[in-house]
Amino acid sequence: MWRTIVKKELLETIFSYRFPLFAVICLLLVPLSMAVNQAAYAKRVRDYSDQVRLADEAAAAIKIQDIMAGTVAIRGFRRPAPLSVFTQGFESTLPRYYEFTQDGFKPGESATDDETILSVQGKVDFVFLVQMVISLIAMLFASDMVSGEKESGTLRAMLANSLPRDTLLSGKIGGGFLALWVPFLLAFLFGAVVLMFGAFPLAGGDTAVRVLIVLLATSLFILTYFTIGIAVSTSTSKARTSLVAILIVWAAFQLIVPRLGDMIARLAHPVRTETQVSLQKSLLVRSLDAETAKELGRQYDLIFKGAPEGAADNENSPERKKWDPIRDDIQNRARETKSQQLSAIDETYLQERRRQLDLAVNLSLVSPSAAFARFIADVCGTGELERAKYVEAVRSHQMALDNELFSKVKRTLMMHEGGGMSMSFSAQPVDASKLPRFTITPATVAETLKANARSLISLLVWLIAPFAFAYAKFVKYDVR
Amino acid sequence: MAEHQAILKADGLSKRYEDGVLALDRLNLEVQPGEIYCLLGANGAGKTTTINLFLGFIPPTSGSCFINGIDVSKDPLEAKKYVSFVSENVMLYGNFTARQNLDFFARLGGKTALTKDDYYRAMRRVSLQEKAFDQRVKNFSKGMRQKLGIAIAIVKDAPAVLLDEPTSGLDPKAAAEFLDIMAELRTEGKAVLMSTHDIFRAKEIGDRVGIMREGRLVMERTRDELHNEDLNRLYIDYMESAGQPASA
Ligand SMILES: Nc1ncnc2c1ncn2[C@@H]1O[C@H](COP(=O)(O)OP(=O)(O)OP(=O)(O)O)[C@@H](O)[C@H]1O
Ligand SMILES: [Mg+2]
Repeated sequence: MWRTIVKKELLETIFSYRFPLFAVICLLLVPLSMAVNQAAYAKRVRDYSDQVRLADEAAAAIKIQDIMAGTVAIRGFRRPAPLSVFTQGFESTLPRYYEFTQDGFKPGESATDDETILSVQGKVDFVFLVQMVISLIAMLFASDMVSGEKESGTLRAMLANSLPRDTLLSGKIGGGFLALWVPFLLAFLFGAVVLMFGAFPLAGGDTAVRVLIVLLATSLFILTYFTIGIAVSTSTSKARTSLVAILIVWAAFQLIVPRLGDMIARLAHPVRTETQVSLQKSLLVRSLDAETAKELGRQYDLIFKGAPEGAADNENSPERKKWDPIRDDIQNRARETKSQQLSAIDETYLQERRRQLDLAVNLSLVSPSAAFARFIADVCGTGELERAKYVEAVRSHQMALDNELFSKVKRTLMMHEGGGMSMSFSAQPVDASKLPRFTITPATVAETLKANARSLISLLVWLIAPFAFAYAKFVKYDVR
Repeated sequence: MAEHQAILKADGLSKRYEDGVLALDRLNLEVQPGEIYCLLGANGAGKTTTINLFLGFIPPTSGSCFINGIDVSKDPLEAKKYVSFVSENVMLYGNFTARQNLDFFARLGGKTALTKDDYYRAMRRVSLQEKAFDQRVKNFSKGMRQKLGIAIAIVKDAPAVLLDEPTSGLDPKAAAEFLDIMAELRTEGKAVLMSTHDIFRAKEIGDRVGIMREGRLVMERTRDELHNEDLNRLYIDYMESAGQPASA
């Protein structure tokens, strides 16, 4: 019985004028979006390789004097995410690199710099197509599956038989979804073939697993929207009403709720920009450095006041014996204070961001679409998780460079009471070829799933709730 | 036992709609195997309501209806195994061919092993033109749809057949063909309950004729009783006494 219904729904959908339209949209747009984004990815990879090579050459040629002069900036580049062919996410808005100096790090420019206004506004990628086009079509397909048959009277004809309503409903969902899913699957596979022709590393590492997760999650996402459509259809008795209701539900889920969630989160927990934070940090560094210099100058003047000529240069003079530990102590304390306060700023900033993100995530759980987009972006390495990993990597790289490089150079700047300044350096040798390399450890699949627990639960609820709702409605549906 | 013989049976069946309209008032009615029962009555008399109750589309307010001895409101799925239904406007899937429609509904009716030839035979029996067998039903005329609807009922081969105004809108030839098929069903021993506005055909085909008014069965006559009566006259008489309490 169930199979009879499934087959009928499948055929009915395929015979409808909507079906070829959908098939063409899928088979054309999905592979096309992948091909286009693959080309963009390939370009980013080329840029990345070039820049890393240049940066490596520059790093190898670092001279201790450069560090002393404070003109050295070490750059750490982020490798473009291959799976950005599915979803752009933050791919082009994240800084391409960070710059590391003695006084901390700051973000470099992002890849959006060489894009046009249109491409920044309307990125068409696989996830966009699924969210904006396929989901809508899925809902439209479902919109008249119950109310339309009631209107045409075929629902009565069917239910005049010994046909349980739950069988009918699940058969409708099964058949209708299959009719959507098969063209979608073909389009996806076709896209994968296109990617492989473009020498995309589809088999490398856990890429294949991630692609399968994308396929699975997307399939379930389409099923969710299809079932929501059915649920709307069982709540209305006219196909026309269903259509209007579906457009409203769709707009709310796709366009309004996710954006509203983000906007509310922004209002409730405003967060400074990263540039503002860098500015705050450099102001702090400057004022701390000045304070240290003043302190050093004061102590120096105190000790060397009235000291014999040359006492400052003679390591064995009593003044030097007194001065050296005091200077070291001041500098050590200053370094500690600086790093404490800098990481406090970073920490506060991260917390602000986390708080905002948390609220945005929670609010957006109201829409399956937002949860889906977050999840897929994380699976593809272009989401919040990647951003967090990037920052994490940047912070630990800064620490590594502090240890291996910046601490090898000691700069002593003194400001004297009278307004005079003096500077002295001491440096240990640095082997530039042994400097740590900047790498971002990507989130593992397990980590990604765990970090997205809330989104996944939301998606699951959104998958089950419309089923339950449609079922409850349909059992009592007035078929006359 | 009479109640085991009746394939279709309404027992004190009443229906009051949510808006308070008493559409059916303690209806008692039986249709035996090999019997055609014609239900007459003005618009709004409660004929469709009766059929909807038999199909379990709406729950009765009181009383019950039985198909093949099974209480419809207790076990609708089991009861519906024994009934075929032809609605006033037979509704089909426009993008399917006549045979595909037939195949789909036959399977719903529990007939899963039928062949193409079985379908062709059924469609020939209702005298649907051959060239329409494998055409999409989108552009079928009302008469063609009606024929296909009856073919669906024939294929299901259930002991009870419910028809709601099956001849409305049919041309005289199609209506005559329809009556022939009904007669065949009777010969096969089916219990047929048919609502209609067509007094003359009711007299011609009905083994029993009932007249409904405001939810009540106000008159019932067998074929023999009707033989010497003018049904048209009877009908109008019963309708005209609308103001007074009806005596059944
Ligand atoms: N869903 C409903 N809600 C309320 N009242 C209804 C409903 N369906 C039918 N009725 C009322 O019940 C009464 C019987 O209607 P029914 O459709 O059974 O009549 P009928 O004999 O089939 O008429 P017709 O010859 O026009 O088909 C009418 O008064 C009608 O207005
Ligand atoms: Mg009626």
